[in-house]
Amino acid sequence: MKIALAQISPHLGNIQRNFELHLQAIEKARREKAGLLVFPELSLTGYLLKDLVETAALDPDKSPMFKEFKALSRDISLVLGFVEEKSQEKGLFYNSAAFLDKGKVLHIHRKVFLPTSGMFDEGRFFAPGRNFRTFSTPHGKMGLLICRDFLHYAAGYLLFAGGSEIIIVASAAPGRGLAGKNGFATSRMWELMGEAISRFSSAFVIYCNRAGLEDGIVFAGGSFIFNPFGKRLVQAPYFKNDFLVQEVDPAEIRRARKNWPFKRDDKPEVILEALKRIVHDYED
Amino acid sequence: MTMKIDCPFAAKILTVFIKEELAKFGFKKGVLGLSGGLDSTVCAFLAARALGPKNVLGLIMPYGTSFGEDVRDAIGAARLLKIRHKTIDVAPMVDAYFKKYPTENRVLRGNKIARERMSILYDFSGREKALILGTSNKTELLIGYGTIHGDLASAINPMGDLYKTQVRQMARYLEVPAKIQKKLPTAGLWTGQTDEGEIGMTYAELDEILFHLVDERESKEELLARGFPRAKIEKIMSKIKSSEFKRQLPPIAKISSRTIGHDFLYPYDWEK
Repeated sequence: MKIALAQISPHLGNIQRNFELHLQAIEKARREKAGLLVFPELSLTGYLLKDLVETAALDPDKSPMFKEFKALSRDISLVLGFVEEKSQEKGLFYNSAAFLDKGKVLHIHRKVFLPTSGMFDEGRFFAPGRNFRTFSTPHGKMGLLICRDFLHYAAGYLLFAGGSEIIIVASAAPGRGLAGKNGFATSRMWELMGEAISRFSSAFVIYCNRAGLEDGIVFAGGSFIFNPFGKRLVQAPYFKNDFLVQEVDPAEIRRARKNWPFKRDDKPEVILEALKRIVHDYED
Repeated sequence: MTMKIDCPFAAKILTVFIKEELAKFGFKKGVLGLSGGLDSTVCAFLAARALGPKNVLGLIMPYGTSFGEDVRDAIGAARLLKIRHKTIDVAPMVDAYFKKYPTENRVLRGNKIARERMSILYDFSGREKALILGTSNKTELLIGYGTIHGDLASAINPMGDLYKTQVRQMARYLEVPAKIQKKLPTAGLWTGQTDEGEIGMTYAELDEILFHLVDERESKEELLARGFPRAKIEKIMSKIKSSEFKRQLPPIAKISSRTIGHDFLYPYDWEK
């Protein structure tokens, strides 16, 4: 299967222009015969929305743009980022990513871990998601994470425990620290997590980060794909826009899981009980 | 951790920042004050790379004839970069004011000169449809070594997250003329003024302490344990605190249900 990553720079709060960017990338991915195209976090809206969150919000069941995306997903699976507000949950805005396939929204993940410290203020503007769910697709069982979710390693574990064979991370991670060579200091942590989660989950990790600048914040780019053995198959350049297409071999999941039976030997029930005891013992 | 930066990558980020930030607002030209010193020269080098030399205007704004050498260095840098440049003497405007309201206080005089330069930059910003590129570095911004609404005023500031020490690294990488690299830094508000003389320590000491305090978020006790002198740490901490007003917009008294700056919060790059 061919996987395409659209490392784009969305226009902040300008959904119409971003919609066009998406259409262009989808067209490109179709020409490349990709089976899956992944966009970054909040790809439809831009990242640093602040009070623009409410005007950028849309309901995937009703949005005309989603109707078009659904139609376009007939021959290519799409992952895209948006601000979600369902009509039955008015005033609750989620930082969400949707998986579309064969004309349908197969899954929506709402970002659970909203970074709210230092340069980040997501908890102020977004409601947190409450679940990490694995879902079935024609390409295998998948899970979605959004940016900071991935750095909480329990999130990756929950997708692994739920059976995910492909973990997709839509990201808008800034780059910080120029002390090292070749890119940002903070890019290392994403790559480290990509290697660790892919190897110890025997799963593909597909990480699509955005590029460009918003209000002086520099987005790091550097999107990547790791195979189920923890080997990096491809990486986009840091900071600048890119579009990459990578052939992956789904048979590697079985090979990895045969060689390294982390999945067979996982004990979610032991972990669950241990977690219950930990939570029970919390002091007030 | 270290203050050493990957200069080629930093230059790439800053040139993209200059180019894209201007483009978002419909500009392709930049204007900046050129003093003949290190910061404005480095900024001009970045701007020329980002926008193309023809789209950069360097305004050289001496007060009278007292800074002839700096003017020559500024013109030399502009010629080297092939950017447009113009020399405007601010003495007639500044003197006209002080003739009416005389003072011998050189800080008052210096601030007035800095704001005269700002006023000319904004005028040329309008005339030329060019945005003003700020040249204040992180060291100056943190200790408040600049005139509010004077040299601190700009439309975008590509230099604001580089310590002076890092501006020097960038200058070496960008091959800024050696003479400018070796100059003693000065605000140029009166003859014989040097930054290090006024601040009371070298940029090397100052930047090292700032780096640990700000970037590494270390406490005073941790800096003392590293062997930095107490008097210098305390002086710097007090300068940071007393200059916070220069780094923010003025507070607005909140009396309504939604107030600019408090809970009316939009991004600078709104729909850009």
